[in-house]
This record gives sequence, structure tokens and C-alpha cells, in this order.
Amino acid sequence: MHVLWVTWIHALPNFLLGLKVTLEITGLALVLALVLGFVLALGRLSGVRVFEFVAMVFVEVIRAIPVLVLLFVAYYSMGQWGVKLSGFAAGTLTLGVFYATQYGEIFRGGILAVDRGQREAAQALGLSSTAIMGKIILPQAFFNILPPATNQLSNLIKDTSLVYTISVTDLMFQAYLAGSNSFQYMDDFLLAGVLYFAFYIILSKLLARWELNVQRRRA
Amino acid sequence: MSNDVVLSAKNVTKRFGKSLVFEDVTLDVHKSEVVAIIGPSGAGKSTFIRCVNGLVPFEQGTLELLGHTLEGNKKPSRSVLLDIRTRVGMVFQNFNLFPHLTVMENITLAPMQVKQVSKEDATKRAQELLEMVGLGHKATMYPKRLSGGEQQRVAICRALAMEPELMLFDEPTSALDPELVGEVLTAIKRLAGQGSTMILVTHEMQFAKEVADTVVFMADHRVVETGPARGLLENPKSDRAQQFLRRVLHPTEDAGEEGEEGEA
Amino acid sequence: MWHIVANYAGPMSIGALKDLSLTVISVAVSIVIGVLFAAGRLYGPKPLQILISWYVEIIRGLPAILQLFIIFFGFQQFGIMFSPLTASLLWLVAYGVGYTVEIFRSGIMDVPAGQWEAAAALGLPWFTTLKKIVFPQALVTMLPALTSIVVLQLKNTTLIYLIGFSDAMFTATSGANTTDQPGVLYPMVALAFVIMSLGIGRIGLVMERRAAMYR
Repeated sequence: MHVLWVTWIHALPNFLLGLKVTLEITGLALVLALVLGFVLALGRLSGVRVFEFVAMVFVEVIRAIPVLVLLFVAYYSMGQWGVKLSGFAAGTLTLGVFYATQYGEIFRGGILAVDRGQREAAQALGLSSTAIMGKIILPQAFFNILPPATNQLSNLIKDTSLVYTISVTDLMFQAYLAGSNSFQYMDDFLLAGVLYFAFYIILSKLLARWELNVQRRRA
Repeated sequence: MSNDVVLSAKNVTKRFGKSLVFEDVTLDVHKSEVVAIIGPSGAGKSTFIRCVNGLVPFEQGTLELLGHTLEGNKKPSRSVLLDIRTRVGMVFQNFNLFPHLTVMENITLAPMQVKQVSKEDATKRAQELLEMVGLGHKATMYPKRLSGGEQQRVAICRALAMEPELMLFDEPTSALDPELVGEVLTAIKRLAGQGSTMILVTHEMQFAKEVADTVVFMADHRVVETGPARGLLENPKSDRAQQFLRRVLHPTEDAGEEGEEGEA
Repeated sequence: MWHIVANYAGPMSIGALKDLSLTVISVAVSIVIGVLFAAGRLYGPKPLQILISWYVEIIRGLPAILQLFIIFFGFQQFGIMFSPLTASLLWLVAYGVGYTVEIFRSGIMDVPAGQWEAAAALGLPWFTTLKKIVFPQALVTMLPALTSIVVLQLKNTTLIYLIGFSDAMFTATSGANTTDQPGVLYPMVALAFVIMSLGIGRIGLVMERRAAMYR
């Protein structure tokens, strides 16, 4: 009989190093996704045909491609074309771009869900379109956006595990490595699972608390 | 007299958690009698008629209807509930038509499923009912294509298709545009004329006066006054009923007095 | 470059068809199990409800790759070996169920209470109400989510090459190794998935329109 704890204690230091990489990629990709996502949403709502079309095609095509394939395109294909990115850079870029399409749609939906009357009322008061967006629409869209945005963040965390396939030494990489050394795959994967799950739970609890706080302040 | 009592409620009390919905409601409904329950919102009128067909349980008292006895805090058996619901028809404030079924399917579903009526007979009966309420030409449409008044008339047909011995109406015109109220009231009036037994929760005082035999005035979670429709509506005995009717019938008259009361 | 495309178009299409078949089979099974689990989650005894909600949390909380590897590699620790195909199907179904349960649960819960009430008032039995009144309406609200599950699962099939199942992605990676042309091969896979995903989306849209005729 093997002892689970012994395997875990041996594995933990490396796993934590992996978790750090996972956190870094998550954070950087999230920033990229939020910024680019907002640009995409604005593009789709701009009222300018060309922008709307380009943003729409970009979102539809990128969303249709599996993240793993995108990763390989960014890492291997682009490498062949002369753009050599490190695994870390390719992973961050890919996840950032892919999740930008998700966030773009969330932002767009959240903005569209704000009652038409709000825009009309603001226009009737003579507010500028920047003021309408910044002071009237976005603050109200916030609550439409936050729940699905949190959801996508948890998907992003999980999808960072794919970067181990382009030799980034993230948590998944460490788990796989430890498993193939010890052949106690289940033990090592379970530990990785616990860490991923803990990350996910802590983050979603924090976000839920934040949402509640904002809601209280507004109430 | 007593053997033609369709419904007899004795001291029925309903609580929702700690808050009281209504208490001590005692009421007899005889065959072919039309009872209108009136009163301010929140008096428990709608909940009371939901207790009658077992949609909502109650805590104390007894309800005797159609040979069954429902007792407070006792869960009736499934077969008793089914029998009651099969024999009691209900029309809701928001119609609650099944949106994915056509008008015809809405009406024939329950007779076919519950009473095993053949599709042919059910369809024939449904068509008759639709003709009766002036909607014979709408049978193949989906509810969303109909106006509110038409939907409510279909809902009445749906309930009637089960040939109920007692009809319950829960504010059947409250969700309607004013101009559509008349067509629904006309349909209900015709039913009353045919000798149907019915309990009607309504805010239409004029209609209650014309159609109901008995009016029950509920307020502050209890029955305040019961009496013949015309008598109660024209000369209410209790202060509470007088006050309510004055406000409903002459909404602007004592608004000033009202404001002072509110401040006090 | 074009001879690479010509050489690999055939094998890659076959791989893509395998991915598509696995998707269809696993989604079909996940729907059946998902309906049962959703019923258990909504109407079952308390322990069953909790068990199912845990299951959903775990499936949704863990990375897809990790789940697949636990099934394929993890069980090897206990001497249980699955073939790549078996492991892939097991995982796709287990994963799909985690999502279909929630779709069916919220679909059923979204049907207004008045519908249950009206059916009860007519004397319709519970199961008839579920089958004839609630479920058909829930299905319409669920269709968009079900379509995205099909797409999600299709995209998930790219992972199973990692345990040696020879699908589109497998063809591309082994091709990239032998020809040293990842610049052509991976965009080809991407294109295949764009076509399949958009195709599924289109079919979903048509079904939604048909189902929602009454609206």
C-alpha cells in the first residue's frame, strides 16, 4: 500500500512552482482578454459597418477554434513563419486572445441588456455619448457582466493547463512530470486537482464577495 | 338546502411561515350559486381559492367539497387531490395558457390525458366551447398570437372542457387592458346564466353586483362581511367594507382626508 | 506547401470525422444521463441532490486535461487500463454530463410556476405535467446552451490525441513531426474546426427557430 500523503509532500514544492506559473499566465492573459475584449465589444457596437464586420468575424472564427489548436498555431506555426515566441508568451497571447472573444461577447451582451430607456433618457438630457456610456450604461451593465465574466475566468484558469503541451512548466506540467516519474499518476493528478480546485474556489468566493459589496453600496 | 352545498369551508386558516395569510374563513357555496370575493389586495382572497382545489395547503379548519374533506395540516391523498382538481375548474389572473400548445391543444389536453376522452370528442367539445366565447376561428393559433382578452377566454374554455362542478376565477380581468375586460366578463356572465357554480375573486364591483348572488368581503386576513350581493355592495354594514367601497367607487372624493390619516 | 495540404487533407478529414462522431455519441449519452441527473438534483432525496451537485462542481472546477489524464493515466496506478477510445468516451460523457445537468435543471426551473399551477388545477398528474407542459418549454430555452455544449465537446476532442487517439489533431502533430511544416498543418486543423463549429451553430439556430415557432 502506498501512502498518499508521502507522495503529496514530495510533490508539493514543485507543484507550487507550477502553480505560480499558472497564476502568472492567468493574470497576464486576463488583462489582455479584458482590454482586447472591450475593444471588440466597442467594435461590434460602434455602428461603423467595417468595424462591426471585422470584430464579428474575428470573434466568430477565434471562438470556433479549440484553444489547443490555437496554442499550436501560436507556438509551432508562427515559429515556422518566423515569429518565435517562448511557450510562456505564446500561451499567454493565445489565452488572452481567445478569452478576449469571450469577454467581448459578455461586454456586448451586458451593454445591450441595459434598458433602452436609459439611453433615451440620457440623450434627452443632452449627455455626450462618452458620458452616456461611462456614466449611465457601463455602471448598469456591470451586474449583467460580472456573473458570466467570473464564469469565464474560471474557464481561463482551467484552460491554462493546456500550455503544458507547449512545454511551459505550469501546474499541469509538474503533475504530469511527477506522475511519469513515480507512476503514481492518480496521486499526483489528485494533488493537482486539489490545487486547481482551491484556486478556483478561492477566486470565485472573492469575486462573489466583491459583487455583493458593490451591490450593497449601490442599494 | 344542505345537500346542495358544493363547498363548505369552516374556520380555514392559512399561514405562510410566520405570517398570517387569512384566518377563520367560513363560507358555504351552494349549487348554481355565484360567490364574489372582494376586498383590498393582500387580504388572502387568491390564496383562499387556491386552497379550495388543493394548490395551496392550509393549516387549520376544514374544507368539505364534492364529497371530500380536506383538513388543516393534513396532506390529502393524491387520488383525492386529482379528483378535486378534475372536478374543479380554475381560471388564473395571468391566464397561464400553455404557450407551446395551440389553442385547441390547450383545451383538449386535460380531457384526453385525465379523463381519457377520445381526441375526436375532445376536439368537438373544444370547438363548441370556443364558438361559445366567440373564438371558433382561433383554434389553430398559439396563445402568444392572441390578445389578453382572447387568451383569458381560451383559459375559461380550457377549464370548462373538464366539465367542472365548481369554477374558480382568480381576478380574471386584472391583467387585461381596460378595453378587453368586457369580453371576458361577458363570457363569465353567460356561464353564470347557465347555472354554473362559481367563486370569483374580483375587483369589478359593478360586475359583482350584476352577476354574484353572494358577496364575501375579505380584509385584514379575515372575512369581514358576507351577504347578498346587492345588499352588501350598496349598504355595507361594517365600517371596513364601507370604507373600502367608498374608496373603490369614488377614488378621488376623500383623498384629502386620506392624506391626513396617512400622516397621523 | 500545397502538396502538404493535398497529402494531409484526406487523413485529416477522416480524423475530423472521428472527432465529430465522438462528439455526437458522447453528447447524446450526456443528454440522457443529464436529464436523469437533473431530475435527481431537483426532485430526488437530499443526499442524492448533494451528490449530484458535487459531481457538477468537480467536473466544472477541474481542467479538462486533468480529468482526461485521471481517467487514462490515473487509473493505471490501480492496474486499470483503458484504451484511448474507451478513455476518451468515458471522459467526454463524464464531462458532458457535468454541463447537461445544469442546463436541464435551469431549463426546467425557468418554466414559470404558473404553468405547474395551471396543469395541477386541470388535474394533470405530476409526470404528465413534466413531460407535456414543462419539458417541451424548457427544451426551447435550453437549445442554445445545448448547441454550445456540442461545440464545446467538439473542441474538447482535440485533447484526446494527447492519450494517443488518432484524430485530426493527431494527424496534424505527427505530420508536423515528419514534414516539419507546422505552419501549414495547424491552420488546417483550425480551419476544419471552424467549419465544423460554425456548421453546428447553424444547425442549432435552425432548430431553435423551429422549436420556438409558438413564441
